[in-house]
Amino acid sequence: MMNIPYVDIGAQTKSLKKDLLAAIEEVLDYGNFILGKEVHTFEEMFASYCGVRFAVGVNSGTDALFLSLKALGIGKGDEVITAPNSFIASASVIIAAGAKPVFVDVRDDYNINPALIEQAITPRTKAIIPVHLTGRPADMDPILEIARKHKIQVIEDAAQAVGAKYRGKKVGALGDTGCFSLHPLKTLNACGDGGIVTTDNEKIFEELRRLRNFGLVNRDESVVWGYNSRLDSLQAAILLVKLKWLDEWNAQRRQNAKLYSSKLDGVVDIPGEQPHEFCVFHTCVVQAEKRSELQDYLQNKGIGTRIHYPIPIHLQPAAKELGYQKGVFPVCEEQSQRILSLPIHQGMKEKHVHYVADNIISFYRGK
Amino acid sequence: MRVPFSYLDRQFSAADAGAPKQILDVILDDIKEFVKSGDFTLGKKSEEFESKFASLVGIKHAIGVNSGTDALFLSLKALGIGAGDEVITCAETFIATADAIAITGANPVFVDVNDEFTIDVDLIEAAISDRTKAIMPVWFTGNAPDMDKIVSIAEKHNLLIVEDSCTAINGTYKNKHAGTFGIAGAFSFHPLKNLNVWSDGGMITTNEDQLNEQLRMLRNYGLRSRDEVEVFGYNSRLDTLQSVVALRLIDDVKFHTDRRIKIADTYDQAFNQMPQIEVPERHSHVRHVFHLYMLRVKDRDKLLQYCIERGVEAKVHYPIPLPYQKCSQHLGYKRGDFPKTERDCNTIITLPAHPYLTDDEVNYTIETVLSFYKANPC
Repeated sequence: MMNIPYVDIGAQTKSLKKDLLAAIEEVLDYGNFILGKEVHTFEEMFASYCGVRFAVGVNSGTDALFLSLKALGIGKGDEVITAPNSFIASASVIIAAGAKPVFVDVRDDYNINPALIEQAITPRTKAIIPVHLTGRPADMDPILEIARKHKIQVIEDAAQAVGAKYRGKKVGALGDTGCFSLHPLKTLNACGDGGIVTTDNEKIFEELRRLRNFGLVNRDESVVWGYNSRLDSLQAAILLVKLKWLDEWNAQRRQNAKLYSSKLDGVVDIPGEQPHEFCVFHTCVVQAEKRSELQDYLQNKGIGTRIHYPIPIHLQPAAKELGYQKGVFPVCEEQSQRILSLPIHQGMKEKHVHYVADNIISFYRGK
Repeated sequence: MRVPFSYLDRQFSAADAGAPKQILDVILDDIKEFVKSGDFTLGKKSEEFESKFASLVGIKHAIGVNSGTDALFLSLKALGIGAGDEVITCAETFIATADAIAITGANPVFVDVNDEFTIDVDLIEAAISDRTKAIMPVWFTGNAPDMDKIVSIAEKHNLLIVEDSCTAINGTYKNKHAGTFGIAGAFSFHPLKNLNVWSDGGMITTNEDQLNEQLRMLRNYGLRSRDEVEVFGYNSRLDTLQSVVALRLIDDVKFHTDRRIKIADTYDQAFNQMPQIEVPERHSHVRHVFHLYMLRVKDRDKLLQYCIERGVEAKVHYPIPLPYQKCSQHLGYKRGDFPKTERDCNTIITLPAHPYLTDDEVNYTIETVLSFYKANPC
């Protein structure tokens, strides 16, 4: 029996340990732990990776979204549209900014359904946060069109999608800002919390730089109440080592996805990729009958799986105050009962994918 | 001679060949072990450090967060403080103190300082209104505010105390540790603090079980379990990697603070007799940990320049009073409202006093200051 954990950060880190420790020691020699040169270099490299002019390193993907909202002036009395099937952070940042999250159901691709967005727009709507969930870009053309028409802003939640492309353009380069998480469980991952915002807009860039550092414009002058939300120099140094590997890791994940797809077609609902999309498969989410039995079965075969996420945001206890009832987002709610994330990390090779897929096939054959 | 303000290169210098293992090597060995675990978010090492910190401070709970600022902010949020409320704090402090109040939606209400860089307790009651929910005394420079008085005012007016003890690890007032007087205390592990990690980092201390539970949820998205979100929260966690660093450095806190106190004492004795220098009064019931060694001096700007030209990295913490910062404009303060804070901004100077200074460097700093006044008797 093979042992295929859902994630294996330890293994990933081990293979780069020498480079990572050297990078850490360099930061130590220089001793600038807060907004040191590594942060600046990583921001430049990341911006150029995404094909944008600016990037601002912050404390987390959550803060990337939150500070984007603040930088765009969104707050009390405003509404922000997003998808209900994301990680809680997509909605909690809206609440934290003082605004109200308004959810719109998703499509089969797990991303916000553009056809349903306009009916959710009110005079208070200030922004849309499309989530590129699973590493697949949301359908940005119609979203950007709606945003232009209604003069609202677009903040991309690209937390799971670094490297993904939509019509040849990298995510993070499509909206007013793009928000990335560099959390240990992400493909491009720090050894702690981290996040980064991308933008082509110089004003937003300047505002973000102030907001992440107490509103300071220099050591002594603070022009707005800001936050302490800085990407650590140490984490930036670690990320600089890993950024070089990102495309290779994404390629491995894509290859794993392709193999899953060819083996499991007709067995479970497995995501495809449209010609204009380049998906990076942060997660490989399938929809399966008898999900929980399948999950147990795979667990017994040494295969770790996850559910992203079993409770839609609008049905969380925390969302009670928003007043959504069960049944309002049928697609998302049905998916939440059936989705299962298969292991797909870059440490997995062909034989591992075969092993997982074969076990899924044998589970259904036994039924 | 160069007397640097920062000491990080000295604290984390590698061992010379044949020399005993330096702290850096010990920590790097720990990190090598740690990265194998992949346990980078909260987890075992994080809990271990929290409990070690709690026992150092002498408190029931310690909750690791992303920064000292977040320690203050999350404490206020957990206590339900927000729009429409007021929180009283000191006009002379780092921006983060007032910032943490402002970003909850509440208004900071500033009170002037006394002659020792802490809140003037005689002015607090006049600042209390119907909207006042809490007092946030600051252990600025590492010195204790008059906690007896503050506690009694808070009790009388039914106000909460959230201590900004960010700079005061190992500091005490009547043998009680900073951060243990109110319902919550905030600490910072920023690289220039007496317990420093290699990034931003912070800790909240409290004796209240319920507040502890709430803070643990708030710092981690309001999650009650992996999948259930009880309240909308934040992402504000002390990196576990930094807990690994801190688990070693916590053993150096006493050395750091003892050495700072010793250097401060040497400075005090040298400067006490100087008519151009005002050494703040020291109290035997306070363990002042001198995160900053600050004096009020004549001809400050010239002295500052003189020191810097001679390699003594003196600084000013801080030149612009918080109530007059652009971000405070909406609060409606005007020049003259805080006479002592204003006086300080023009007269204070911070001398290097970190634990890694040599005695020669301390003496050189003294000589530099004394020679300035010899050449410029004012």
